[in-house]
Amino acid sequence: MIDIVPPAFIFILGAILLPLLRERRLRQIFQLLIPLIAFIDLLYMPKGTYWVYNFLGYDLILGRVDKLSMCFGYVFAIVAFVGMVYALHVREVGQHTAAFLYIGSALGVVFAGDIFTLYVFWEIMAVSSVFLIWYQRDKAALDAGFRYIMVHIFGGCALLAGIIIHVSNTGSTQFGFIEYGGLASQLILLGFIINAAVPPFHAWLSDAYPEATVTGSVFLTAFTTKSAVYVLLRTFPGVEILVWLGAIMAVYGVAYAVLENDIRRLLAYHIISQVGYMVAGVGLGTEMSMNGSTAHAFCHILYKALLFMGAGAVIYVTGRRKLTELQGRNLYKKMPITLSLYMIGGFSISAVPLFNGFISKTMIIASSAELHRPIIYLLLHLASIGTFLHTGLKLPYGIWFGRVPEGETIEEEEIEAKEPPLNMLIAMGMAAFLCILTGVYPKILYNILPYSVHFHPYTLNHVVAMMQLLLLTGAAFWLYIDKLGGEPKISVDTDWFYRKPGVLLLWFVSNPMQDLRLRLQSFFTKMVANVASLSKNPILLPEITVRYFHLKIINRLYQASDIYNDKLDELKELESRLAAVKEMRYDESVYRRPVGLGVLIAIILLFLYGLIYFIRLR
Amino acid sequence: MARKLKYIFFISIGVSILVGLFIPHEHVHFWWEKIPAFDAIFGFLGCIVIVLGAKALGHHGIQKDEDYYD
Repeated sequence: MIDIVPPAFIFILGAILLPLLRERRLRQIFQLLIPLIAFIDLLYMPKGTYWVYNFLGYDLILGRVDKLSMCFGYVFAIVAFVGMVYALHVREVGQHTAAFLYIGSALGVVFAGDIFTLYVFWEIMAVSSVFLIWYQRDKAALDAGFRYIMVHIFGGCALLAGIIIHVSNTGSTQFGFIEYGGLASQLILLGFIINAAVPPFHAWLSDAYPEATVTGSVFLTAFTTKSAVYVLLRTFPGVEILVWLGAIMAVYGVAYAVLENDIRRLLAYHIISQVGYMVAGVGLGTEMSMNGSTAHAFCHILYKALLFMGAGAVIYVTGRRKLTELQGRNLYKKMPITLSLYMIGGFSISAVPLFNGFISKTMIIASSAELHRPIIYLLLHLASIGTFLHTGLKLPYGIWFGRVPEGETIEEEEIEAKEPPLNMLIAMGMAAFLCILTGVYPKILYNILPYSVHFHPYTLNHVVAMMQLLLLTGAAFWLYIDKLGGEPKISVDTDWFYRKPGVLLLWFVSNPMQDLRLRLQSFFTKMVANVASLSKNPILLPEITVRYFHLKIINRLYQASDIYNDKLDELKELESRLAAVKEMRYDESVYRRPVGLGVLIAIILLFLYGLIYFIRLR
Repeated sequence: MARKLKYIFFISIGVSILVGLFIPHEHVHFWWEKIPAFDAIFGFLGCIVIVLGAKALGHHGIQKDEDYYD
């Protein structure tokens, strides 16, 4: 019997071994085997705290296993498997290596028992995930990747600063509940909410995810934001500001999705919106709301992966990513399976009964009602409408059906399209199956939640209320169907604040600052040259000084008294003498002073020193 | 086909509202839950608010040409 190991290490070891496998078939088997082994490993992990290593006097804990961490661990391993099936046709080994490192570090975050371990895995997660963006290899992806990594490095720095202050204040490195208030906790919270994409720190997500590779973006949707939700659940349950940030975030993402033309960017805004529910659930801080956040994270990972896989499949076969390039081409005839599987994801995220969003989202909304928070309740409800409007109606309509706006003609009626490769369809099928399974039979999920569940989603009331909401959203969509087509525009978001002034900053650095640098440099070079030339003969310094000032003074006087032109020869003479003196080298046979002079000066100084000392002593 | 779908759609709206009128509310947390068919009204109006609100914001500043950042 082999002992269980930290699941993070399975993936990281997999990342190291993967490039060594030359045979493609072997590599594909290995890609699928690693998530499977990790999942089995999870099943055998007992509850408790273990894998504790002492490092520089601090305990590094790699295994803090309880219901909360297990719930996230399970879904991370599941989506790793699904994502790997989806990416099976990709020949670039580097992409899979980056994905394995990314998944491994996310699992490391989930099972970390102390904040140093957490921090290390947190940073590996940022660095490995950026390669899933860069592997797209076009300029937009490279730029977006750089912005992505800069934001995450900033967040990581805030987190590290907070951790250091926290540890030096409390002396505890334990990763658990932190009392909110004070600089340390605020910095830690800032680091966490940057990864959770809470406005105004969310723009990295909608900026970078749509630029990633088709297969890489599936992994990206699952780990970064959800591991942030996990750490928030651990450290900041019941923090009031999170309730408001979450509710605003839920509506914010939806509002931006109205304007979006890029299909994966639209879905990315819905990640922000959905994570808003989870953040609000953390903030509400009751057992039910925290269960809701955990359950919603679980469900969200599955249906969002499915949605990104569906949109990715369209991009993969058509090479187009904008609604304006897709609508009106009747793709539904060519990719009906992709459409059906996508719709399962669409219904799940919209919380249609019998799909998994319904059993988790309603939990968070219901706990806001139980706490009598009317504004939060209405904001979350409003976001539900927007979610169905876009991911359930507008996006599938625009991609697979759609009408070309009046007055516009499209250059080609037909575009090349077919169903994507079989492995992509199988991956989508698995995600769709899990979405329906957890939707129809929520007990599987409710049993692994951190607290015991007393919530029944399938009451007549809940179902009817949700159906009314969704059906009438559909009716309003039908009214505005022509207004909702894509527009060939982009929306300015908070990334404006570093993208536009970033250009200004570059100009400022490369022009005025560079100029200043050159001036300073030449000034100091001259100074050094002067000192060097003077130090050729220090003994002549008094003479050089006298001659220099003499020359300057009479120069001025002559200039002032109109006889300057007559005296030019004299001035030239003085100048050349000064130059000659400057050129004179130190020659010890010229400057031979008696030894006695030096001794005398030393004695005088010693005497003065003694005198001062004596007087002070008095 | 499309016609049939339309009928199914309208019928299910009618059924959901009718059923909603006749089932008792177990836990009433907010006053608006007593309004008949509140969720239907909220869904319809909310959707319009989201579409028009976001479009208005978009056309007054947020939306730029695609080469805005280049």
